[in-house]
Amino acid sequence: MTEPQLSIRQLSKRFKTGDGVSDITLDVQPGEMVTLLGPSGCGKTTVLRSIGGFLEPDSGDILIRGQSVLKLPPEKRPTAMVFQSYNLWPHMTVYDNLAFGLHIRKHKKAHIQRAVTDALELVQLAPAARKYPSELSGGQQQRVALARALLLEPDVLLLDEPFSALDAKLRMEMREELRDIQMRTGMTMVFVTHDQEEALSISDRIVVMHAGQIEQLSTPQDIYDRPSSLFVASFIGRINLLPAVSDGTRIRLQSLELEPQPGQALLPGACTIAVRPEDVYLTDEQHSLAGTIRQVMVLGHYAEVSVVCDEQIIKMFVPREQAVHLLNGQAIRIGLRKFTAFPEQTAGITVSHTAASQAAATV
Amino acid sequence: MSHSVKRGMLGLALVIPSFLILFVVVILPILYAVQESLIDQNSGEFGLGNYIRMFTEPAMRTNIIYTLNVTLVSTVIALLVSYALAVYLRFGKGWMARWINRLYFIPMFVPGVIATYGLITLYSNHGWMARLLLLIGIDTFPKIIYSYSGLLLANLWFNIPFATMLLSSALAAVPNSVVESARDAGASSLQLFFRFILPLSYKTMWVALTFIFMGIIGSFTAPFLIGANSPQVLGVAMQQVFSNYQETHTASAMAVFMFLLCSVMGYFYIRTMGQDLDKQS
Repeated sequence: MTEPQLSIRQLSKRFKTGDGVSDITLDVQPGEMVTLLGPSGCGKTTVLRSIGGFLEPDSGDILIRGQSVLKLPPEKRPTAMVFQSYNLWPHMTVYDNLAFGLHIRKHKKAHIQRAVTDALELVQLAPAARKYPSELSGGQQQRVALARALLLEPDVLLLDEPFSALDAKLRMEMREELRDIQMRTGMTMVFVTHDQEEALSISDRIVVMHAGQIEQLSTPQDIYDRPSSLFVASFIGRINLLPAVSDGTRIRLQSLELEPQPGQALLPGACTIAVRPEDVYLTDEQHSLAGTIRQVMVLGHYAEVSVVCDEQIIKMFVPREQAVHLLNGQAIRIGLRKFTAFPEQTAGITVSHTAASQAAATV
Repeated sequence: MSHSVKRGMLGLALVIPSFLILFVVVILPILYAVQESLIDQNSGEFGLGNYIRMFTEPAMRTNIIYTLNVTLVSTVIALLVSYALAVYLRFGKGWMARWINRLYFIPMFVPGVIATYGLITLYSNHGWMARLLLLIGIDTFPKIIYSYSGLLLANLWFNIPFATMLLSSALAAVPNSVVESARDAGASSLQLFFRFILPLSYKTMWVALTFIFMGIIGSFTAPFLIGANSPQVLGVAMQQVFSNYQETHTASAMAVFMFLLCSVMGYFYIRTMGQDLDKQS
């Protein structure tokens, strides 16, 4: 096994307000893109700023290529950071912004010129070299900021919600571009975001954080398909959360008896069933839930259908051709392809029932 | 009448009241003072006699040099101290920084006369300082009040809080991410200051410099109460020439000279601001 590029060990940092993180352990392999994902206040930025040296952790250690960097100030660490906004130095031209770090490292002038030109070409902004940051659009500024960080050739590149101030379309483009650059340069990156879609689309692995702790650490696919907790389930993607009762071997959801998914043991008692809209299907089988259609919304190539079953709203995705035949108020039957069940205890801790179903409805 | 002409007239009508006030209370007196200064105090003839005397009479020349000396030294020290203080308040995190932040502007709320008498009671030969030192057996106390140093002290007391306030707000406008990204790129503390903090706040530094300079060069109360009898700063000397000797024309010449000194400062100030506008546009 190769040595991890970045290793965080039992990192803890608590602020006076009570916010912060505790016991964060994470290894990032060379060339990997790991995303810290969570709602605001979950501590993801705290972890990132600790790696960059802008916060001093209470305990734990941070190693980059096997060396502890905990004692080093930001300017001595082999990291570079892209900030959320106000990233560029307003009194310097784009060229000077990029060249500054290399000047400090006492590179030769010819070398600096070549490196800066290359970096600007990498982010497709070669003509902007003589401009001031205020003359660039938000997206261009963030691209320059990215180029500036890349130029420093850090061992780990840290990105703190770099695209959150941009509009949706630009955000998508920047995402692709970043992934592209990461593939080409093979740079190790730690990315912070609260946007689950962004995290799913660009990461090799995602760290879902909640209330200062790691909730789940896995690949995007795995996190989407096998959320380890009700919080992860409700935070990532769209999901229906339905109250159910388990007797230890079988789960009763309204009129339906369900077998737990393989490998899932459930204690007797109340539980919550999490099922994604794409795993709900229309059926004629008797072993299914009866409901009435409340709303059909066409969203491009598919439609989102809200079905009321025993006063619970269940959202499902239906191919558009099929949705044409569905009418409001129509009685239908639906089945669940796959689902995850969470015992009530964890549900009580993380999200209450109503809050969870509301969250699912708004995600 | 066309629409644009009407709008032009309206604009003029709105400007005229303030222009008239400006004309009557500022421009006219200046012109009058210039005219007065050009009438020779001794002969009554029109000419540069007052100015020539001002720059050739030894006592007056000493006063001018003394004034410039006090002003420049006080301005530089006040600016350095305020800058250091503002940087400390911007980046300092301890209880000290918090307390200084709450207290530093108090001198601005103390009237000048009271502050000056305060300085006298504190630092004069039989003042509190001298007595406190006597308690621990030190019976020599330097002459601070009624001298150059007393004047310097008063100037610092009056100008540091204001300059600090100006500079603090300029430094507060420097975003944290600029500072952090600079350090991230490898800038040391010195580089951080000279390449980032200073360029991003030097415009305000010029404002502070101009205000301190003008305030000190035209000051009267403190130097009148706390300064030496000779040499004197121009403000005090002018008052003496005007009231005691009743030499209106000589006093006018001094006033015009002071006005010119301030204009030089104003010229640099406006030029700096203009350069910045060019860069931004």
